[in-house]
Parts: sequence; structure tokens; C-alpha cells
Amino acid sequence: MRRPLFIGALLLLVLGVVQASSGGTMAQTVTTAKMNDGPHSDAKAIGSVPVNTSLTIIERHGGWYHVRLADGQTGWLPMTNLRLNYGNARGSSSGSSSSGFFSLFESGRSGAAGTTATTGVRGLNTGDISNAKPDPQAVTELNQWAAKPPEARQFADQLPAKAVKVDYLPKVKP
Amino acid sequence: MKRRAVYLFAGALALGLPTAVFAGLDLGSLISTIKQAVTPADLQQEEDIGAAAAATLLGASKPITNAAVQDYVNKVGLWVALQSDRPDLPWHFAVVDSDDIDAFAAPGGYVFLTRGLLLHMHNEAELAGVLGHEITHVVLKHHLKELQRAARLELVSQGAQAGLAEKGYNSNLDQQAFDKISNATRNLYATGLDKDDEFDADRAGVVLAARAGYDPYGLLAVLQTLQGVDPKSGKMQLLLATHPAPADRIAALSAAMEAGHMDKYGNQAEGQERFIDVVKQLVPAKPAPAAASK
Repeated sequence: MRRPLFIGALLLLVLGVVQASSGGTMAQTVTTAKMNDGPHSDAKAIGSVPVNTSLTIIERHGGWYHVRLADGQTGWLPMTNLRLNYGNARGSSSGSSSSGFFSLFESGRSGAAGTTATTGVRGLNTGDISNAKPDPQAVTELNQWAAKPPEARQFADQLPAKAVKVDYLPKVKP
Repeated sequence: MKRRAVYLFAGALALGLPTAVFAGLDLGSLISTIKQAVTPADLQQEEDIGAAAAATLLGASKPITNAAVQDYVNKVGLWVALQSDRPDLPWHFAVVDSDDIDAFAAPGGYVFLTRGLLLHMHNEAELAGVLGHEITHVVLKHHLKELQRAARLELVSQGAQAGLAEKGYNSNLDQQAFDKISNATRNLYATGLDKDDEFDADRAGVVLAARAGYDPYGLLAVLQTLQGVDPKSGKMQLLLATHPAPADRIAALSAAMEAGHMDKYGNQAEGQERFIDVVKQLVPAKPAPAAASK
């Protein structure tokens, strides 16, 4: 019983180091945040992080971010206690510290797979919408990619993502 | 039964809950009203209006041609839509060829998102949350109502015989009706819906993703990512012109999720591995260092 736990912890540690070495997303606390040792509210509290503290996001799990402080301490904070800095969005373009896989896209910018773009960034602004010339053919062509319910169910099963009953959320004042 | 409801209501009043809880119930009753109101003629008109709106939107930004990405988004999207109150619509999803960040819905089951938005996501749960938001716009007929009002579409089905179908279009509309809807689409999608429609779509979108078995915090995570994109970059010009600020959406959505105890579903599927496997196809190779430094 102990050993799998230990190996799991080691694996997490290794993953954490890999994540750390690939940079991370910079964020700041927007409130004094209680830091837990796991991504849930009944996990052990391991400290308190003052408001406006800069830190690095390692990963997200549910409503929690796994973060690293400047002194190297790591723990989990509720995601809404953080605000991502401009230019430091996970996967954002303009930050030098944007993280991992998605920064690849930003360095290339033009010409994603399936397009022939060689002329730089393709925008879509209010002017493009206001001046749009309808393309009914493009609508017809959407059929080639449409999924059927059994395919969608099977695809969900593979994840697995299982359907559950969830009520609509109340509207509450923030 | 009635008496019990009165007691419950009185109890809720005493606890100070009523505005929150009963405002939340409106969405459910609104949805059941909509379900009952749909006749075959209504549905045909909705699909015709949606096809015209979608044609206009795709005129501004074409679908990308990568079939693996489009298939993936359609499977995830349909799975989420199957959890909605209108599972039987002819749902169509597509990634469109723009590096800017936005997503759209059109009546009848059309949902589009830009490549730029997809590449700012990190897993399938985030995609499911965004698609859930757009699906809700369709389910609640947010755009349909605005387009019908703007284009005064009582007459929309009349011109069927001299319609666009004769010109090879998949539509029962005549050219005049099509043009009206197209004009209304250009106006509506450049200015946006009522802000309350967007907040409603955020709350219900999260629920659809949770029902589909995904980590429900995906949409909130995307909104946080957007908060970290510099508005001066221009990548969110259209999105910011047509939606409440990300900070306001985050505040409203996180309060609702807390009240609805969505943390119960925090361990549901994230789907990071297969999301990256598919979406990485849209990441171009890094330019050679010489080229990058001009």
C-alpha cells in the first residue's frame, strides 16, 4: 500500500520539476489566500499568501491552481484568488514567460495546419463582421464534419466523460 | 403540496436566499417554455435564419480545413449539446481561420470558435466549457430573437418558391429575406447581445460541461486566460466589444459556481492528453532562428 503512494508522489515530484523547468504562468494574488497541500477545501492548510504576491502557476485541477512562490514553496490556491498578469496568460503571445506547448504557436503565428496563411496574423474584428460577404457554400460544407450522437457518446466513453445530473446554477450577486 | 411550497418560500426568505435561488430557477422554467413553443414551422424558420447568419459569419472567417480538428470539436461539441434541453438540433461546430480570440453561436445549432481561442486553451474541459456557453445561446434563442426582431421576419417563409434553393443554396428563404437576416447578423454580431444573455450563457455553459462529465472549471479557466491577454494586443477587440469584461464574467460565474457547489465535480474529466494530441496540429513549426531574427 505504501509503495504505490510513494511512487505516485515521486512521479508528481518529477512532473512538477519538468513543469517548472519549462517556465510557467505568472500570476498575482488578488486577496490574502489560504494555501492548501491539495486541490480541495478540506486539504491541509499549509500557509497564507498575502495579497499582491507574485507567483508561478504550475497546473490547474478543478477550481484550484498549483503554484510556486518566489521562495520555492508550492501549494494549492483557489483559482479565483489569482489574477493572471498581462502578457503572462497561459498560452499568451506577448509574454516572455508564456508556458509550454502553446508558446510554440505564438512564435510561428501565421500558417496553422490546414491553412495556407503565409502573410501573418489573420484577424477578426468588428469591421470584418460589419463587412462580411455571406458564404452559403461554407455552411453546406460544415456537414462533412458533423458528428452523430452515437459517435459523440463513444468518444465521451473513451475519455471517459460520464454524463451526470447537474442542476442549473443560481444567479447570485458577486 | 402548495402549502409545503409556501413554507419553503418563507423559509428561504428567512434565510435571506430568495433573490439568488429564485432567479436561478428562471433559467430552467425559461428553457421548458422554449421546448414547448417549438413547432415544425418554427424550427424550419430557425434553421433557415441560422443558416443565413452562419453564412454571414463564415464570410468573415472561413472554417479551417484540418479535418481532424473539426471532427474533434464536433464530437466534443455534440456530446455537450446532448446534455442540453435541445439535443435534437442539427448541431454543427467549426474552428474558423483567425488568430484573434472569439466564439460565436447562430440559431439552429451553429457554433464557431477561432483558432486563436482554441490555441489559448489547455484541455478538453476548457473547450467543453466554451462550447457549453455557445450552445446555451442557441438553446435560449438569444440571437434568434434579436435577428427576428431586427429583420421583422414574420414574412420570412413566404418567398420559398422563388427561393435560394433554386440557386443551389440549402435554404427556404428568398433573396430579400436572406439579405435582411444577413444585414441583421452583421449588426448584431458586431455589437453583441444583451450582457445578461452572456452571464446566463456562462452559468448554463458550465452546467452543460459538468453534465457531460467534464471538470466544470474549464470556462472559468479560459476567462482567466483571457484576463491575462493584454487588451491592447487587439486579439480580443471583437470579443471585448461584444461581451462583458472578463473580470466581471469571472466574478459573476465564480460566485454562482460557489453557490451551486460545483466543486463537487472538480475531479471530472480534463481530457488534456487527447486535446493536445489533436490541437497541436494547428501549431506551426517554429521558424528557423535565422529567419526569426530577420
